[in-house]
Amino acid sequence: MRMVNLRVSYNARRVALVLAAVFVLSFLLLPGQLQSVFQNIGGPFGWILSWPLQGVAGIHDRIAGVWGRYVSLQGVEEDNRQLRRELELLKEQNAQLRESSAATERLATLLEFKKQALPNLVAAQVIGRDTGNWYKTIILNKGTSDGLQPDQGVITPAGVVGRIVKTTSSTAVVLLVTDPNNAIAGLIQRTRDEGIVEGTTQGQARLKYIPLLSSARPGDRVVTSGLVEGFPRGLAIGTITRIDKEEEALFQSAELTPEVDPNRVEEVLVIQSSVVPTEKERFSIPKTRP
Amino acid sequence: MKGFIYVTIVVSLVPIQSVLLPHVTLWGVKPDLGFVAVCLIGLIAGEFDGLLVGLAIGWALSLFSAQDVISGAVLKGAVGFLAGLAGRQVVYLSPVVLVLGLLAISCLAGVVAPFALKLNSQQDLWWAVWTVVLPQACLDAMIGGAIYWLMWSRLNVEQLMSESRM
Repeated sequence: MRMVNLRVSYNARRVALVLAAVFVLSFLLLPGQLQSVFQNIGGPFGWILSWPLQGVAGIHDRIAGVWGRYVSLQGVEEDNRQLRRELELLKEQNAQLRESSAATERLATLLEFKKQALPNLVAAQVIGRDTGNWYKTIILNKGTSDGLQPDQGVITPAGVVGRIVKTTSSTAVVLLVTDPNNAIAGLIQRTRDEGIVEGTTQGQARLKYIPLLSSARPGDRVVTSGLVEGFPRGLAIGTITRIDKEEEALFQSAELTPEVDPNRVEEVLVIQSSVVPTEKERFSIPKTRP
Repeated sequence: MKGFIYVTIVVSLVPIQSVLLPHVTLWGVKPDLGFVAVCLIGLIAGEFDGLLVGLAIGWALSLFSAQDVISGAVLKGAVGFLAGLAGRQVVYLSPVVLVLGLLAISCLAGVVAPFALKLNSQQDLWWAVWTVVLPQACLDAMIGGAIYWLMWSRLNVEQLMSESRM
């Protein structure tokens, strides 16, 4: 039997009691101030903690890579066949969209619409998930030293992933679009009705505050409306699967299936800057050419 | 030596909790190893160590979560402090009693968490208890019990704890 003495003196216990009391009191009286102090102090501490985190994530990725490449290859042939079919379909859709894009460009030039500025994107890798069970987040391998800041939008080519809520110098925490505490301004692409997209406890998303007279229906796509910081207009959020209309309610809501499966996302793009239209720009009537 | 052990625990908990544990979930809920570590440290080393290590672990874990830094640190610190106080009141602690104790404290901390974190209205107490608190408490108790049983069989835990009460 080995014996380790981990105990401290009686004085230390009294210090602990006082320290605990002071800390709880300051937590109750000055929550905001303490929050920012701890977050700032946590910067270098988080940088140090990110080394083992990135190390373990690297080893984990290598093992997952070996598993994916050599072990779990069952069903790949069927996947390949299905993907080829989808590729053919997408090629056809792409050709149609090119035509529409050219037509839109011509019309936009005629109406002198202001072109939406392309945002700066930073690629980042997912190295971990939330350390707790209360929030749905992912951890990225880039932080403030790469220009990442809280409230920046995070996307993949398929659509919206979430929003950065916390950063250290080398990592960033992204609150996923499926988290109930996240809210993104959305727009139904077909009807142009606006609402707020919020996550649900079931891991899906919900578009709230849709006008009662809206003709939204299952299958409609929801995109970002570009009215809040972080996301430019037109990024895919999800597809409506169900409309909920309650009696005597002022609005209707819709259940969405997110475009991006947050549990499988490995690489993301962070939107560093996007132009949000001002009220004046939004409501002004575009000048037409004589 | 003690400081080194604590620093190692704090530093290693972050990658384990965020990279490895998402693969070991029960109904989508993963155990909180930070909670288990803080309880055991508080119980064995006393309320002072429990408080300080709890604050450090809570702070470190909340830096890599959407959870606010202060509530994370305060909750873990309080758990460590209470575990230390509880450790002084018991003469003999078997792994079974520890498992039941961990289950109870994890449930208590889990019930407090939604109020401290000011979650969305969808995440009410009923939802929290059934989907997060109970599965997490079961996992915490199982893992804590297993670690304590290992320590119990290899170290002289009773002597360690009784010396602390002098």
